[in-house]
Amino acid sequence: MIELDHVSKSYNKGAVRAVDDLSLTVPPGEIFGFLGPNGAGKTTTIKMIVGILEPDAGTIRINGLDSRAEALRCKAMTAYVPDEPEIYTRLKGIEFLNFIGDVYGVAGPERRQRIEHWLEAFELARAVADPIQTYSHGMRQKIILTAALMVKPRVFILDEPMVGLDPRSSHLLKEAMREHCEQGGTLFFSTHIMEVAERLCDRIGIIHKGRLAAWGTMAELRDQAKDKASLENIFLGLTES
Amino acid sequence: MSPTTALVKAALNSNFGWTILRHRFLVQRRDLWLIPLILLGVAGVVPVLVLYVRLIGDAFDLLRSIGQEKALLTLAVLAGQLIILIFGLFYLIATFYFSRDLEYLVSLPLKPFQVMLSKFAVVLVNEYLTIAPIILPVLVIYGFKSKGGLEYWISLLLAYVLLPVIPLAASGLVVVGMMRLVNIGRKKDLLIVLGSLVLIAAALFLQFGLSRAAGAQDVDSEKIIALIASPDGLVQSIGRRFPPSIWATRFLHDGLMTGSGLSGLALFASLSVLLFGGLMAGAQRLFYRGLVGLSERSGGSTRRSKARTALKVSSGRHPVRAIFLRELRLMNRTPIFLLNGVLGVLMIPIVFALTLSSSRSTSDSAAILRLMTTAKPVTTVLVTTMFVIVCATVSGVASSSFSREGRQFWISKIIPVDYRQQVLAKFIHCWNVALLGIASATAVLIFRFQLPAGQWLPALALALPVTAFLTVLNLAIDLARPLLDWISPQKAMKQNLNVLIAMLLDVGFLFLFGLLFLALDKAGLGLAGVLIILFGLILGLAWLAFFLIRRLSLRRYPAIEV
Repeated sequence: MIELDHVSKSYNKGAVRAVDDLSLTVPPGEIFGFLGPNGAGKTTTIKMIVGILEPDAGTIRINGLDSRAEALRCKAMTAYVPDEPEIYTRLKGIEFLNFIGDVYGVAGPERRQRIEHWLEAFELARAVADPIQTYSHGMRQKIILTAALMVKPRVFILDEPMVGLDPRSSHLLKEAMREHCEQGGTLFFSTHIMEVAERLCDRIGIIHKGRLAAWGTMAELRDQAKDKASLENIFLGLTES
Repeated sequence: MSPTTALVKAALNSNFGWTILRHRFLVQRRDLWLIPLILLGVAGVVPVLVLYVRLIGDAFDLLRSIGQEKALLTLAVLAGQLIILIFGLFYLIATFYFSRDLEYLVSLPLKPFQVMLSKFAVVLVNEYLTIAPIILPVLVIYGFKSKGGLEYWISLLLAYVLLPVIPLAASGLVVVGMMRLVNIGRKKDLLIVLGSLVLIAAALFLQFGLSRAAGAQDVDSEKIIALIASPDGLVQSIGRRFPPSIWATRFLHDGLMTGSGLSGLALFASLSVLLFGGLMAGAQRLFYRGLVGLSERSGGSTRRSKARTALKVSSGRHPVRAIFLRELRLMNRTPIFLLNGVLGVLMIPIVFALTLSSSRSTSDSAAILRLMTTAKPVTTVLVTTMFVIVCATVSGVASSSFSREGRQFWISKIIPVDYRQQVLAKFIHCWNVALLGIASATAVLIFRFQLPAGQWLPALALALPVTAFLTVLNLAIDLARPLLDWISPQKAMKQNLNVLIAMLLDVGFLFLFGLLFLALDKAGLGLAGVLIILFGLILGLAWLAFFLIRRLSLRRYPAIEV
């Protein structure tokens, strides 16, 4: 479960308010889609949840634990996939996976089994012994996804995970996301692709200028904007200003 | 604004971060605590600078007494150009070929020489700053002592502006050619490291030849008299193998209004322009070809051949070991980090030994040291300890440890590893590099200078805790303000303000350490007593510093935003 309670974050000593008094809860077993225009505060929110940024105000709890007071325990149950695949390009793919496995304490047999499974699924098996600097953008994205899926976290946080993925990998990822939630995990992801959010998410939140403009299931969102049938129209209606 | 000017301006601005600094200090009013820290670092260097200035003043007086004072100018120009020739090489390779913005710049409607020019400007400005503390005091003191008028100061300005161009452009030509050649095949990084080593060896050989040529004169007493008798004797002797230093001496000493001075300037400037033009012409033909090779990705057949290799899955490494391995691999596999860091600490003592070996007048340096050892054993231990410590810590490995992670620092923030453990792993890695430097310096003391165990063992014993303390201090400086947003790995190490601040503080600490060493000796404790007290004291200091940095990590890691 992810709980954000009156979370705010600003830059430049308060001049730019990136996230403004944001509160939301994502219960276990739910896929939560986070939408918003560029600069709305999606990545800032995600970075605060995973501990890359510190909120100026408010609290974030992961499965009931305060993300600041119990930072290590929160991190141990969370896996994060960033929007930009900035990883150690001088390491080989397998070295990166082993590094993540070591720091998350993934045991040998499970590690091997999960790595082999996801490398095959993402068609990375042949490249895994090569340095990451030789990988394309999509391959880098896939090696980060493999690392995150190997950890088998209880809370999965993804920032624009479909960008750079080929259709097959994108489909596999969506299946993995659904399976993760069916097993009781929590999933929070941001996207710009309305169709993905519409089809995949149990609930959707639309952030605009740092504030949650609307949230709920697809049906609830349709109710809030009666004449707007598609998510795209709802999104445009909420963020046009 | 012309495209070339705009490009050069943007390159300088993005590299030296003036806009960001201005924004931070004046708009955001962040990092203001850096100003007193820098001042403190500068204050630490002042005593050393005072000693250096005195030394130059004494050398001037001595040389003037035999009518050879202008040899000081030749020596300064020669030293500056050799420093740039050897150390500028790393800057050039990193800036020309490893900047992240190159792929973008290549796509712009710019000519290769324009892109090269913008990169060259960055290195040039950096070299002005690098050689300033070494060369400027000599040129300025010479000006005051010789009562040089306005003409001298104009000449000084011209000399300083032109000084790095010849060695940089010459190195640049070699680098551009080398990169075109090494970018064939799969082992590009290895070839870059090997190529750089060959170039360094060549530069050393050049220096070896120069020193030997100068040193050979000193053996024969008749030649010494002839040398002194001629007004240009020493100048010619020092600069014989590298005439630009003689040309610079001529226009600095004789003035721009004399035929000799004017021709000196004409020759110096012409060679600079010629080499610079050659580099630009070479860049136009070869620069992009070398770049294309670098960004090519190996794939296809290589990957297919590895299809059936067994997957090397590790199991259950301790997080500290995992992070240590990451640090080791990232450092050793990034040519610029490897050259500046590991190879730097290994080579500096060797370069020092070779420099002394190359001059015949000092070929008996081992004997001189033995004499010193007998006459002043405590001073020798202090000098050798300083030598070992400087060799071990000069690389900037610790003071760039966090900065080197760059934009990947987010990984260190999200992994479930206690920040104190992460700092421990970094300390182990950086101290290991320092130990390599200690080993290399000690080997030079034993094998080149043939110091007895009674001399190098105490130096070694003191160097261990001192380098541990300095490693922690340097790590703390980088942890306080890591430079994570860089486009060239060179910027993370050599153009990182943290490395400079750390160096200044290290010098300040060593100065205090030396004073304490001498004070304890004066108190009549004897060498053993001095060693025991200092060893215990520094060990305690290192332990305290380590305790403090662990606490600092708990505050700093969460506050660092990526």
